Formats: sequence, C-alpha cells, structure tokens
Amino acid sequence: MSTPQTPKQPETPKPEELRVGVFICHCGLNIAGTVDVKQVAEYAKTIPDVVFVKENRYTCADPGQEEIRKAIREQKLNRVIVAACSPRMHEPTFRRTVSEAGLNPFLFEMANIREFASWCHQNTPQEATERAKDAVRMAVAKVRLMMPLQTIEVPVTNKALIIGGGIAGMNAALDLAEMGFKVYMLENTQSIGGHMAALDKTFPTLDCSICIEGPKMVDCGRHPNITIFANSDLVKVDGYIGNFKVKIRKNPRYVIPERCTGCGECKDACPIEYPNEWDMNLGTRKAISVPFDQTVPLIYAVNMDYCIECFKCVDACGDRQAIDFNQKPEEVEIDVGAIIVSTGFDVYLPYDMPLLGYGKYPNVITSMEFERLILAAGPTGGKVIRQSDGQKPHRIAFIQCVGSRDKNKYPYCSNFCCMYTLKHVVQIKEKYKEDVEVYVFYMDIRSPGKGYEEFYDRARERGANFIRGRVSRIDEDPTTHNLTIHSEDSLLGQPIEVEADMVVLATAAIPKKGSADIARILNLSRGADGFFMESHPKLKPMDAPTDGVFYAGACQGLKDIPFCVSQGSGAASRAATVISKQKWKIEPIISIVDETKCRNKIAKCGVCVDKCPYGAIKAEPGKAANINTANCHGCGTCVAECPQHAITQMHFTDAQIMAQIRAALEDKPEDKILAILCNWCSYAGADLAGTSRFEYPPSVRAIRVMCSGRVDKEFILEAFRLGAGMVMVGACHLPYDCHYISGNYKMKARTDALKGMLTKLGLSPERFTVEYVSAAEGIHYAEVIKEIDANMKALGKEKIMAENAKLKPTLENMLKRWKKP
Amino acid sequence: MPLKTVKKDAADALTLEWVLQVKNYKLTLDKNRCVGCQICSLACPKEAIKTQKQPKIQGEKAKKAKVDIDLTKCNFCGICDVTCPHGAIKVTLNGTHDLSILAKESYPQLVRDIKVDTRQCQKGCVECETACPLSLIKISKIGYDGKPVENIEALSPTQKKRVQVNLDIQKDYCPTCRVCEFKCSPGTLKVKKAFEGIIAINQEKCPEGCTDCLDVCPITGALTLGEDKKVHVNELYCTYCGACKNVCPVDEALTVKRTKIHHTPIRSGTWNKALERLTSPHDAVKELKTQADENRRKLVSRRFVLEETVK
Repeated sequence: MSTPQTPKQPETPKPEELRVGVFICHCGLNIAGTVDVKQVAEYAKTIPDVVFVKENRYTCADPGQEEIRKAIREQKLNRVIVAACSPRMHEPTFRRTVSEAGLNPFLFEMANIREFASWCHQNTPQEATERAKDAVRMAVAKVRLMMPLQTIEVPVTNKALIIGGGIAGMNAALDLAEMGFKVYMLENTQSIGGHMAALDKTFPTLDCSICIEGPKMVDCGRHPNITIFANSDLVKVDGYIGNFKVKIRKNPRYVIPERCTGCGECKDACPIEYPNEWDMNLGTRKAISVPFDQTVPLIYAVNMDYCIECFKCVDACGDRQAIDFNQKPEEVEIDVGAIIVSTGFDVYLPYDMPLLGYGKYPNVITSMEFERLILAAGPTGGKVIRQSDGQKPHRIAFIQCVGSRDKNKYPYCSNFCCMYTLKHVVQIKEKYKEDVEVYVFYMDIRSPGKGYEEFYDRARERGANFIRGRVSRIDEDPTTHNLTIHSEDSLLGQPIEVEADMVVLATAAIPKKGSADIARILNLSRGADGFFMESHPKLKPMDAPTDGVFYAGACQGLKDIPFCVSQGSGAASRAATVISKQKWKIEPIISIVDETKCRNKIAKCGVCVDKCPYGAIKAEPGKAANINTANCHGCGTCVAECPQHAITQMHFTDAQIMAQIRAALEDKPEDKILAILCNWCSYAGADLAGTSRFEYPPSVRAIRVMCSGRVDKEFILEAFRLGAGMVMVGACHLPYDCHYISGNYKMKARTDALKGMLTKLGLSPERFTVEYVSAAEGIHYAEVIKEIDANMKALGKEKIMAENAKLKPTLENMLKRWKKP
Repeated sequence: MPLKTVKKDAADALTLEWVLQVKNYKLTLDKNRCVGCQICSLACPKEAIKTQKQPKIQGEKAKKAKVDIDLTKCNFCGICDVTCPHGAIKVTLNGTHDLSILAKESYPQLVRDIKVDTRQCQKGCVECETACPLSLIKISKIGYDGKPVENIEALSPTQKKRVQVNLDIQKDYCPTCRVCEFKCSPGTLKVKKAFEGIIAINQEKCPEGCTDCLDVCPITGALTLGEDKKVHVNELYCTYCGACKNVCPVDEALTVKRTKIHHTPIRSGTWNKALERLTSPHDAVKELKTQADENRRKLVSRRFVLEETVK
C-alpha cells in the first residue's frame, strides 16, 4: 500500500479582504417557526467581515444552493456560512455547492441553528434566537481563520469483506461477486445460511425455506469470486476506508478442508452424539458432523468438547486422510476496501421469566423450537410432539410478545413474530385440521407487508382463536403436564383461563451475542436496544459511522427475510461505490507537525507518539516527529497533548477553536454553558436531542471537535478566563465507544488533572464537568444540560463572577506562555 | 441453550439426564454398588468424574469416597459404565442399555473370566454363595424331575446323584476378587482377575489402629488387621480398585498400581489414553507393544500360509 503524499501545511492566508456570506435557512417552519430568522439575519449583517446575508426557505434545495453559488460569483465571497441544520447532516452537500462555484470547500462552515436552537428550545423562542445569533457569530469567528485545504487521495483495495453469512450477507456477497469484486465471507459457525436455513416455511407464501435458500448457499460456495471463512472469528481490523487490513482467526475444525469430500463416513463411525444446537437442542448430532445436510461449505468438523478421541473417524476416512487432530487455530490477514456487517440476531430464551415456566415445564417451547419440530427434516421428522410424553398435542397455545414490547425486558417490537406465529397457525391447521385447537394470545397483530394482512385473514379462516391479552402466568398439572394459561381478554375485559397441551412462546429477537466485540473492533456504535447504529436513520440506513463499513440485515434492526435480502443488495451497492473506485478521497482534517517547534529535535520527547491511538506518529531521535497521513484519522489528540503546541489539526486549529470560544462568550459569559462536544457521540447525541425535540435550557453554546481528545487544556482555561459560567466536555462513553479508539481516555486523564488544579485555585468543582453521551442518548444529553444549568443557577451569578475575578490573573498568567493569534 | 438437563442426587443414586425431544440420555450411579474407587474418574475421557474424600467422624467407620459427575462435562459416552468393576454406573439411551461405544468398537469390554464347572460341585455345598463378599452368587438345584430342590437332605442318595447344581453369577457386577475360587474346594470355580496389579502397605508409615482402608474395602479378606494393629494385604483377593487409597490418611502409606487390564481386543485412541491413566504410561506402552507384536505375528503367519499354499 503506497502512502499518500503528506500535504504541506497550508501557507498562512495572504492578507486578503475577508468577504463572508451568511445564508440563513428557514427549513420551512422547522427553524423559522421558533427562531426569529429576520432578527438573526439583521444581526449577521452587523458582524464585521460579513458582506452578504441571505435568507432561504430551504437552503439545501436546488434553488437555495443556486443562491449560494450565485452569491459567491457575484459578491466575490471568499468565506461561506450556512446557518441551518446539523453539519452532520448537510455539510457535505454545501461543501460540494461552494466548490462548484470555485471556492475551496474548506472555506465553508455551518452554524447549527435547527437541532441546536429551534428544535430544542421550542418554548423559549427569544432565547433560541439568541442562541442562533451566537451560533452565527461563532461560525464567522471560525471561518475568518479557515484555510483552503486539498483533499487527500488514497488507493482503494477492490475487495470486500462480509461479516456474517446469513441471508442478508449472502445476498450482499453474491451481488458484489457478480459485479466482479473479490468477496470474503466470514462466518463464525460451521455453515453459512443463518437463521433462515433452520426455518421450515416462509411467510406469507409458505415456501420451503431451505429450498429457496439452499441454491443461494451453493452459489456462494461455488462462486469463483467468493471465499468463505467458516468457523472463523474476526480478530482485528486496521486501516480506513478503501484500505482495511483484517485479521481473521480460523478456528480448528480438525478436518482438512481440501481433503474432506463430505461423504459422511466418519459420522457413521463416530460413537458419540451431542445435542444439536442447530436443532435448538431437540435432536442430536455426532461429535464429527455437519450441523445439517445442506451445509455450505460441506466440510465436517470435530467438536472437541464431546469427542473422546477414539480415532474411529480416522480409520473410516482412510486414504483420504482428511482428519487431523493436531490442527491449531490459524490467523490470516486479508486486505479489503469495504466491510459489510451482517451479523444478524439471536433469539431470547425466557429463562428469567419464571411465570411462563420455560425450562421448567417440558411442554413450553419457543417458536424456534416449534419450527424445528414441524420441519420434515427436523429431529422428529415433522411430527409435532410433546416432550413430556411424545404424544401429539390437541390444544396448542401461542403466546406473542414474550420479552418484546416489554418495558422490563426489550421495549422494541421484534418485527416478525406476529407473522411467523400466523405461519405456524396456518401450518398446524392445514396439517392436522380440526384435530388441533389453536389459541393465539396477542397484544396487537402487526402485519404490515405485501400479502401479510391477507395471510392473517387466512389464519383466522382456518379457525384459530385469537385472544387479545397479555398472559400473566402459566401453570402445569404435574401428572399430565398439561398447561393452564392465565390471561385477560382485553376485548371482553375479564380474566380468562385456557388449558393447553403445548405452549409456544414467540420470544423476542435480541442483538447477536458478540455484537459488542464487533462494535469495538470496527468502531461502531450501538443504540440503546443493542443493535448497530446507522449513520442516519432515514437517509443512510446502511452506512455505519465508520467510513467504508456498511450494514445489512437484522444486525442494524430487526427485519424479515425480504427486507434482509433487499438490504443485502443495498449494502452491496453501497460497498461498490467505494471499491469500484481506484482512489478514494479522504478529508484533510489530519494533524501536521510544525518542524520548527517540535521539541524532539533537541530533546527526547515523543509524547505524541505515545498518545496517538493509531500509532501514526514516528519520532526518531534528533528529528521532528512525523505523522503518517494515511494512518492519521484526524482525532487531534496529539495536538492537545503536544507540550510545544507544535502540532496543528487542520480545519480544527487552536486559533479557530479559541476564536469560537471567544465569540461564544462575548456577551454575558457568566450565564453561559460552554460545551465542547466530540463529533461522533456527544454532538450526535445533542443532535438527537434536537431531532427528538427534547427541550433543555438555552444557555448552552456548543463547539464541535472531532474527538474529545482534541480538547486542549487551554480551551478550558481560556473559557474561564473569559468568565464562562460552566464548561462541559462531551465525550463518547468509556471504555470502548470512542470513535478514535482511546481519545476519550486521553481527554479524561488531561481533564482530571486540570479539574484538580482548578478546584485548588478556587473554582467550584461543578463548574467544569466531563459528560459521556452516546449518539443514541438524546434524552441523556438534555438531562445533562438541565443539570448543569440547575447547578449554575444554584451557584448564583455573584459567586460565579467572584470566582472568575479571583481566577482571572492566574489564568492570564498561565495562558501567557501560549501566545497565539 | 434450551437443552433440558437434569441432575438428581438422591441417597441411593445419582442421576444425570439429557432430555431431548426425541432422545433421552440417562446416567445412573448406584450408590449402593459404588465403592468409591477411582476407576471411573480415571477412565473418563472428559474428566467429568471426581471422587471426593468424605470427612471422617471420630469413632465411626471411614466412609467411602463420594463420586460426583459434572453434568456440563459429561457426554454420556458410557465409558464409566463399561469400566466400572462393580457395574455401579449405567448409561442408557431412551431406556435401553445399548452403548454406542461398544457397538462402534471405540472402547473394549472388561473380560470377567469366570469359569464354572458345576459337575464337580458337591451337592450340598453352599460355600461360594456364602463366601461372595458382594452376594452375587445364587446356587439353585434342580432335581431329576426338573423341579427346584428345596431340601437336598430329604432326597434319596440316587435322587441326590441326579440333582443338577446351577450357579447363577451376576457377572456384570462382579469385580473378580477370586474369593469364591479359593473358598471352593473341588475347583468348580476358576476366576481370572480383570485388573492385575500391585498393592502394598508401607508398614512404617501405616498409622497404628487406623482401619480406614479396611472399612471401605469391598472385598472381605483383602485387607486384614494384624496383631500389630496394622493393616496387612492379602493380594489374592485384591481387585486393585483403589478405594482404600482414596481414604488413606497418610501419603504413600498405601500404594495401588494396576499393571494390566483384561479386555476384549480393541484398536482405539480412547482406550489407549484410558489405559495410560488407569495403569501407567509404561504399562500402556507394554500393552500396545504386545498388541503390535501380535499383529506382526499374525501378518507373518498369514504370509507364510499364503506362500505355502502357492507352493
């Protein structure tokens, strides 16, 4: 991999006349409904260097963008500000707009007056307007110091990795392979196929599941462009979009894949059986076996947890010599340009809901177990029988929403349970007719999909009894093992008792075990429900926050088979937008060392080398530190750590952030909360607070940095020198949430020391806080700001001003050393 | 995992179960038959069986070691069942006692070589029945008319002559101690031990007055308390099970070593490993060597015969 050329530090801009244009967006009534846009526009005109101000109904729409282009050309604007929504939303759009008009895209800045003003202060329009004005002023302050930057181009590896070989992953793999890209599939079980391969039929058409999935599995196994790593784990992912280095551990299967013909003679010789997890442990498999007949890749594996090492399989295998008991885990490293995560879901087993008796009563089973019972190739040969006596049940009760839509368990709806229960009802009714009575206890039947409502009708026509109500408990008759279900019928408004021979629980689907590891390895974030968070819930449902990583299937949110298939294809096309290119442009917001200032030239320093989470910095003795551009992710931790202030992060320079701080605290600083938020978690969380319309006090002024690791001590000192009421640093949750691996830890170490010092100097400890807010915690952000505001009010203006007056000389002294424009 | 497992530890039996929808694996340890030896825990390939020494209460007899089986490790292979000299463990699948390790020849069966020649029996003799320390022998007599004989003394001498004596030995539970053989005067019974080995008591270390080993020994007469208040061994009766060693309070006072196990012929990695643990690596190698020698001899003789016929 060639390293892209290190860009030179941009020359200090020539003293030119600054011509700033400010475009203020109404966003329909989203902004204009709360913020007095006219007033903001009038105010903007009064800011020095602003030569042009324009209001737009929708700035992001074509006419709005055209206004910007026209103004740049006609007014000779050399800096542009759009005061509208969050930069996480439309910054790329407007960067493109200004570059189309010939302006460097990095001379553009957004002021967030929607998520950060109008949406979160709807009941205090006056304060919201004030906050919007401040946002514009801060943007102007920053934009004055901005420098034109050139994007960096890196080469792209035209291969993709797909993590998880379920139906979504397989579709993504096949699509990419058909486009001509090399695809690696990583699967941690023995076979690809996922949950779908374990199902009997699919709704609403009652197609045989493995019959329609099997050919796809075989296609994946046979495709020349697809390499499957089954029985393997993801160990490590390094690199960045277009250039990922992935380390995979192939777990030993004690069978040499090249030699195994899949004949199964070893299986016949093996004396040991163990419960087959594929059959939900209803049936057994041999210690050397494949989980099911259609396994792809068809390679046997030995389960050493059960094997007694009699080596009868070795004898049976004979001259093929495919069995090797000395196999060790093997690590392989592959290069890919894009990664699709399709790790799927797990099924909740309600052991911790004792009132339902799962695990205690033999005839209470889950839907997934029922699926294996009714499957002709299943352990019972398609006979639905009770575990207690092996007899066919005559009354089956299905209980919906076990764990799902439950505030104490999983508050979300698991999406497909209603439909698969209807499928089971239809299957049972069509198989056993009047012989079996069926009861369904439901909260709501949710059947929004093509042909789904008609399927619901079909189930009702078959004569199933639908009872609307939540089951309170199930009792068992200890002799007959029959079950009594206690529920309420909410339509009749009275309690109801139903006796059944068998109870099937439609349990919640939950995030895959190991999602946390995948999230840590790939720097992904997870929502409160544990599923992976997409970049944007509407517009980027398949993009992970990490560039070059995409989602497919239920790992991002529960969905049924057709949606998984379409998302798999969607993710494939998203990945193809990366790996079809020869070069990929990355933002030049990386760090640069000023060689004249670096202390490493005269003394052994290397602080930045230790602090860089990516190991991108090298400091040879006697030479200035050198940053590898390709490995620099642009967190800015080194910038904040450098004792000589020799490192600069482009687009987030010390001077720019200082200017923002000064602009934010220009007016009545003692009433304000200065919040420095990291882009990926806390800024996104604050955005979510706005999007969700959670109101919080309008006293906060937010500054965006890429990572909390960027927060320099001097920023805090300067804020208090200027008399800020409260200062808050927002970061990703410890330990693993940081988008830049460990920036939050570096910040924590730094701020802990600083806080101690400031407290000693006489600052009330609650005036400087570090808060951890994830991208999913909008409500948490609102609560944090409320609390800080309450603390500020409790301290009182006088006390704050007195403290500030006392601190000011010391802080000025401390900041003297740090003289920068 | 919705696998239903059951572990019941009752006073007379320990039961482990895998309850699957279509299959039921069950392991039962009969605590009355179990002597607390170490054979099963050594034979288990999954190291699921542990023997725990029970605390001794002053003034009472020593208790035999308690056998505990770890349900998470057990795979119901049945090796403990096959190896137990007392037949205390039974592994069943759906209630039937067909072990797949035997069917697939993954593990040998113990050879309990007991030869009975009832023709030499004295008609009124009940020596073996009373001698068997585990009461496994039942003598039945059938008269000339095919009916069981109640009282042999009541019969006439001619009738007495025509009485047929049958020895019903519960072989599965027999540890082959040979007590019956030595008690039987006419030589009706010939017993070959399944386990061969060495047992020795270091008289210097053996604490005076302690009879712990004697208390747990299942074979009456294998260990005896001498006049010097120390325990002495009668190797003729010892089955080398090691129950005594499990309870012996002093290190190295008592040594039990197995050197050879009589079993059906087998070729299995599991057995080789079990043998190594049950005897010693040295003895295991010895068996493998004799096996290899035997194979070589067979091969050569087959060749030889072939060449002969060709000529």
